[in-house]
Amino acid sequence: MNESILLLFALLVPVAGMITIPFIPHPFRARLSFIIVCLVAMVTTVPAIKALGGEEIDSLFDNSLLAGNWSFHVDRLSAWFILIINLTCINGAFYGMGYMKQYDAQRANLSLHWVLFLLFQASMLWVCMAQNGLVFLIVWELMSISSFLLVLFDHQNKTTLQAGINYLVQMHIGVLFLAAAFIWVYYSEGSLEFSAIERFFSTHSNFWLFLLFFTGFGIKAGFIPLHSWLPQAHPAAPSHISGVMSGVIVKLGIYGIFRMVFFLKQDYILIGEIVVILSVLTGLYGILNASVHRDIKKMLAYCTIENIGIIGLGIGLGLLGMGSGNGLLVVLGFTGALLHTLNHSLFKSLLFFTAGAVYQQTHTRDMEKLGGLIHRMPQSAVFFLVGAMAIGGLPPFNGFVSEFLIYAGILLGIKSIGIASNTLMISSLAGLAFIGGVSLLTFTKSFGTVFLGTPRSPLPQEPKEVSRGMRLPQYFIILIMLSVGLLPSFYFSVTGSIVSAFVPATAGGSFSVPAALTNSLSSIGKFSLIFLALPVLIYFIRKRFTRRHRVATGPTWGCGYTAPTAGMQYTGKSFSKSLGKLMNFMLLEKKKYREIRTNEVFPPERKYTSHYNDFFVTRVFDGLVDRLLYSMNYFQFIQNGKIQMYILYGIFFIVLVFLGTALKLI
Amino acid sequence: MISFILIILTSLFFSGIIIRTKSRTSGRKGPGLFQPVKDIIRLFKKGAVYSKTTSFIFQAAPSIYYASILMAIMVIPLGEYRGIISFEGDFVFFAYLLGVGKFFMILAALDTGSSFEGMGASREALFSMFAEPAFFILMGSFALLTGHTSFQEIFASLHFGSYISYILGVLATLVLAMIAMVENSRMPFDDPKTHLELTMVHEVMILDNSGFDLGLILHATNLKFGMYGALIANLFMGSFPLYLTIPIFLGIQLLFAVSIGLLESFTARFRMNHNAQYILALSSVSLLIFLGVLLMLGQFS
Repeated sequence: MNESILLLFALLVPVAGMITIPFIPHPFRARLSFIIVCLVAMVTTVPAIKALGGEEIDSLFDNSLLAGNWSFHVDRLSAWFILIINLTCINGAFYGMGYMKQYDAQRANLSLHWVLFLLFQASMLWVCMAQNGLVFLIVWELMSISSFLLVLFDHQNKTTLQAGINYLVQMHIGVLFLAAAFIWVYYSEGSLEFSAIERFFSTHSNFWLFLLFFTGFGIKAGFIPLHSWLPQAHPAAPSHISGVMSGVIVKLGIYGIFRMVFFLKQDYILIGEIVVILSVLTGLYGILNASVHRDIKKMLAYCTIENIGIIGLGIGLGLLGMGSGNGLLVVLGFTGALLHTLNHSLFKSLLFFTAGAVYQQTHTRDMEKLGGLIHRMPQSAVFFLVGAMAIGGLPPFNGFVSEFLIYAGILLGIKSIGIASNTLMISSLAGLAFIGGVSLLTFTKSFGTVFLGTPRSPLPQEPKEVSRGMRLPQYFIILIMLSVGLLPSFYFSVTGSIVSAFVPATAGGSFSVPAALTNSLSSIGKFSLIFLALPVLIYFIRKRFTRRHRVATGPTWGCGYTAPTAGMQYTGKSFSKSLGKLMNFMLLEKKKYREIRTNEVFPPERKYTSHYNDFFVTRVFDGLVDRLLYSMNYFQFIQNGKIQMYILYGIFFIVLVFLGTALKLI
Repeated sequence: MISFILIILTSLFFSGIIIRTKSRTSGRKGPGLFQPVKDIIRLFKKGAVYSKTTSFIFQAAPSIYYASILMAIMVIPLGEYRGIISFEGDFVFFAYLLGVGKFFMILAALDTGSSFEGMGASREALFSMFAEPAFFILMGSFALLTGHTSFQEIFASLHFGSYISYILGVLATLVLAMIAMVENSRMPFDDPKTHLELTMVHEVMILDNSGFDLGLILHATNLKFGMYGALIANLFMGSFPLYLTIPIFLGIQLLFAVSIGLLESFTARFRMNHNAQYILALSSVSLLIFLGVLLMLGQFS
């Protein structure tokens, strides 16, 4: 079968689904949506796998109505992202079927939700295939708008609305940068095709155009200081949507950056250094913020920013490798980034799914109100535990493999000539290690507060384990995660083939992977397996040994205090308090309380609240927006509410256009 | 393999030496060298009390912790002889393995729902987090100096020849020894002899552990000492033959244990709320090593 016909199906099937869903009975809508998600995934996975094998697929839709041909193209890079999108969307839709049951009463809203989910998946797939600037912008926009509407599911809620509008505005600022970049290329090269960008890069200075693209895509990906939509939009959306958004929509920003990186022709070192520095800062900023927030989904959103930093670090290393002609560094950096993209989409959707399970059962996202859930939801607890270990980069899970590749890249890059790059590399090494340490703190805190100990506050209902339908996709994700952790060589060879297909030979594209690296990766796989088995062995020995020992249970040792209550447990806030205090130049804590005065003999009940504000939002953007609004006041006379004036503006405009064309100015 | 056996051997008498040194400096005779091991064996035979609040995490954590330490020890080489696990970049694996153990110990402490154990867990997470960059900068500098990225190759090709290299050796020993003190929660970062739970770090985390599990945790601590001692010993071995390296190894372990004993006898613990900064200062010592390496490679000229 011809693959381009399959791609045509990828366009038609979702549209058919979107039309059908509202017309079928309510109970079947979610299921139909899931089936169509699977169908679309199938018709795109087949060409994607072929493309990964080296057989690139082109398809042209001759469209004389809308300015020329619309070309869709699946190469190895798009194939990798298509596979990630499909995987995450199938899991998301499956989980969503169970998760959205709690909103069963909102029929119309749900129907729209499932229609939009199809559009969301399809538009993301199209983004990966589009090879024309105009088409790309259209599908990019479709993706932003469909995800915006998906975020707004809970539209009665004011914070959700605010988060949604914030998301919409920021996405359009991003589109502005992208559009400017494409128009620049169009003016210079006379074409909106992606190949024109490559021509542009080979004849012009690379830096500024790349900067435009990087800013546009960086807003989507969440590099600082362009990240502020993430911690707002993720908590507002339903959990499977946050999972998919954090898992893939953010990664499409990474896809765009990769696409442009592979077009670059010069300035590798400069761009690489900037990307490395920005990424390390992004990682540090993300994880430090994640460590102090008490909203579980906000914590996960900041953690996404951290992981974008790690991915960006890989991209930056690859660029530095291209600049210095070090083929191995190119491979390590880019494969690390590509693999971490897959890994992050896996464990982040897993974590969002468990967060959703917790929310569904307890109706709160505030970790400080929870506790002891491991006794009520043991499986969800294990899912979260696995996700937490993987995201901290701990072996034997997948996060370690991609972080190891990036570490290996840094250790290779350290040897490059020049004191500047030495210093850059050692700082990134320390930064990455520090990120790992903070993420250990963040996730022990989150897991400990939510799942361990005793419940901290009464809940509206007794929480119980979520339905099997919601657990199944999580088992599936864990299986794939383990496969990456235990078979790193295979995944490395796949991502390595992507990189070798794109990097030109002059920039280190022709390379051979040294035996030491393949040996390292297979060792990691082997010893991770042993590391899985060894605790089991020790536990087994312990069980055998202590079989006849007397085992008693009692209350936790209270250090002599005999009446401990649940409220006395260490809270998540206090767990990360010392870190927050040390980093208070960046983690802005806002406290509200009244001190007890000396003359208050019987102090009345009082409240203490404290929350952390985003540094960039409060210190940079709020001020800027305030100034902007203030200066906009001066132009209020234009919008004065008089219809006559508005008509006059229209006439002015028409006259201007007329004069312009008459005098051949436009 | 040989390093693995040697470290296990060291773990048997390491804390005995520390305790003996401390007793001697305070004018007591002190228990026998193998008393700590006997205590651990006694614990292995005992029954256990579990808190009603705890879950399976609490029971599984000590085994996972012990396994992570064992795996980490397998990475350590002995001079020319590689460890059981050895590949390019194995020290990253080493650091992350230790991370797994720490992760589970922290969770086990939180599992009890005790405010004291939560406090200890929080401190452990914070302190080990700040120790991380120091270790990585140290290893990164060595990778830059030797051009290798696995423990065995780095240590085998470390040669002391110039004045700078001696300084580097001293500084690296200092950093590794201090990291060992942080990781094992000893003086001057944590006082294992303190009586008040509020001022403990590691001791308070394992308040609720008993029986076999406590034995595992205590032995893991000894193993950790042996492991860091072995790392320090490796700094000075180069590519000597085996009949030299084993005495060097044992000698350095002895010296390390005695100096810990002396340190604990004559210093007080750092102020708890400044501990994090002290530990972070280790990174700057590591940065000095990095500068030294740059000097040696002539990057400044």
